[in-house]
Amino acid sequence: MQKLLSIEWLKLKNYRTFWILIALYAVLLPMLNYEIANSMGNFKFNGMSVFTKSYAFPEVWSNMGYLGSYFITFLAILVIIITTNEYTFKTNRQNIIDGWKRIDFLNAKVLLVLMLSLLATIYFFILGSGFGLAYSGSASNLFSGYDKIFYFFLLSVNYLGFAMMIAMWIKRSGLAISLFLLYAIMIEGILQKILNWKLGNNYGDFLPLQSSDELLPFPMMKMAAGMMGANVQVTMPQYFVTATILWCGVYYFICRSMLLRRDW
Amino acid sequence: MQPVLSIQQISKSYGPIRALESVSFDVPEGSVFGILGPNGSGKTTLLGIVLDVLVANGGSYKWFDGMPADAARRQIGALLETPNFYHYLTAIENLEITAAIKGRGHDDKLRVLELTGLLQRKDSKFLTYSLGMKQRLAIAAALLGNPRILVLDEPTNGLDPAGIAEIRELIIKLSNEGITIIMASHLLDEVEKVCTHVAILKRGNLLVTGHVDDVLRSEDQVEVKADDLKALQQLLTSMHGIKKIQQGNNVLLLSCDASVQPAHINEYCMRGGITLTHLLLRKKSLESKFIELTN
Repeated sequence: MQKLLSIEWLKLKNYRTFWILIALYAVLLPMLNYEIANSMGNFKFNGMSVFTKSYAFPEVWSNMGYLGSYFITFLAILVIIITTNEYTFKTNRQNIIDGWKRIDFLNAKVLLVLMLSLLATIYFFILGSGFGLAYSGSASNLFSGYDKIFYFFLLSVNYLGFAMMIAMWIKRSGLAISLFLLYAIMIEGILQKILNWKLGNNYGDFLPLQSSDELLPFPMMKMAAGMMGANVQVTMPQYFVTATILWCGVYYFICRSMLLRRDW
Repeated sequence: MQPVLSIQQISKSYGPIRALESVSFDVPEGSVFGILGPNGSGKTTLLGIVLDVLVANGGSYKWFDGMPADAARRQIGALLETPNFYHYLTAIENLEITAAIKGRGHDDKLRVLELTGLLQRKDSKFLTYSLGMKQRLAIAAALLGNPRILVLDEPTNGLDPAGIAEIRELIIKLSNEGITIIMASHLLDEVEKVCTHVAILKRGNLLVTGHVDDVLRSEDQVEVKADDLKALQQLLTSMHGIKKIQQGNNVLLLSCDASVQPAHINEYCMRGGITLTHLLLRKKSLESKFIELTN
């Protein structure tokens, strides 16, 4: 396993696009959060600065998690580029010719997805701790709301795994990226509305990417609802955790059957 | 001797196109095995299947008497169809990946680059290589870590005449060191000069396989002419050792057994009362043999 990962690293460590996308993610995520944290401080509701607590513990995890679920797209695109590169350069074939099993090719990419997600989550934790400390002035609540950190990891694996599957299916980077974005931004939203409307019971919330998005929802929604005293029906997060893990398994088996059966 | 590769009834179709039809043969250890055939005859498909990048519809293959296929591939250096490398990496970085997957050859990179004449450009990105250099790098990667078998699909593609000669010498040298070489080619010249064994494919069917001297033995023909061609033909039909008589352009073309010499034919005709006005031994070229086989 370590061997597969170290070979993936050999492929990436001198790849400029890899570092550019990582840098974009690493720089833009804290910048935007900083922007929002500061502008929220100035936002008053009935003369009361309601959002100043948004970046204090524990709310910081929900806020950053929600934003992070958009930013993860950078890493998803990275995964698509890395995977489709193999098809463009036909190095997927060469890896097999040189002695990998077909499943090794898949497992190496899965390990890459897990590793990127882990690193993104560690970065998420570091940034969140920084913002939290700066905006709450004490570390007393550092670990409350840490379940969001776990949710962020799951969300990341889900998005990157989905991206990997699209890449292995489509094989061409431009088309795969377009399809991924189209699905993530539009198609799934529409499907979700249709399913929820036709079937009720929030079935639409369990669509592949949506099931993770539900783990890190738009935090203001809850706040606003709470302020208005509305009673929001909330599905237990465990269901979405399970759904996310199941979807990741589905991606793996779809990829596996594609790779084992097809000509390369 | 154990075959290093045994192919059993492999079939493959791409939709309605039958690319391979139940092809079977063995590659003996230490041979230089040429897979010959015109374009589109299934050579690359066959190599793709035994290297597991293509999936056969039927049949099986065995490397080294049944070693697990991935372990076997790590003992094989192979170049299939095109040089496949990470464009954004240098030659050395690409070979590093090859070595890591094979689990051998880490300290062999400079040697193979030297051998293929790429040492000067080892730190250039693959992207900047010319066609010939890409092909050389693919050969370098195949040679990495002294494989037991080399699989080369059209190895001289894109090389200049000097490069072609170099590769040919390299193949002969490696073969003398005991490495088995499996080579697909449509260049007869190449095969005639280096191969010990051949398999000839035509539209997915195996036409013939065996030792190169048996398969591509130049069968000689004798051209004869007399004033009365008809009588001559009648006379020769009864001669022992003549397998076939063809009407040529005002001559007769005789396919004979190896035992029949032109002198015998002359003598036979004299005794039969016909004087030959023309008698010529024609060496059949490999090329015409090949065309005869594949047409």
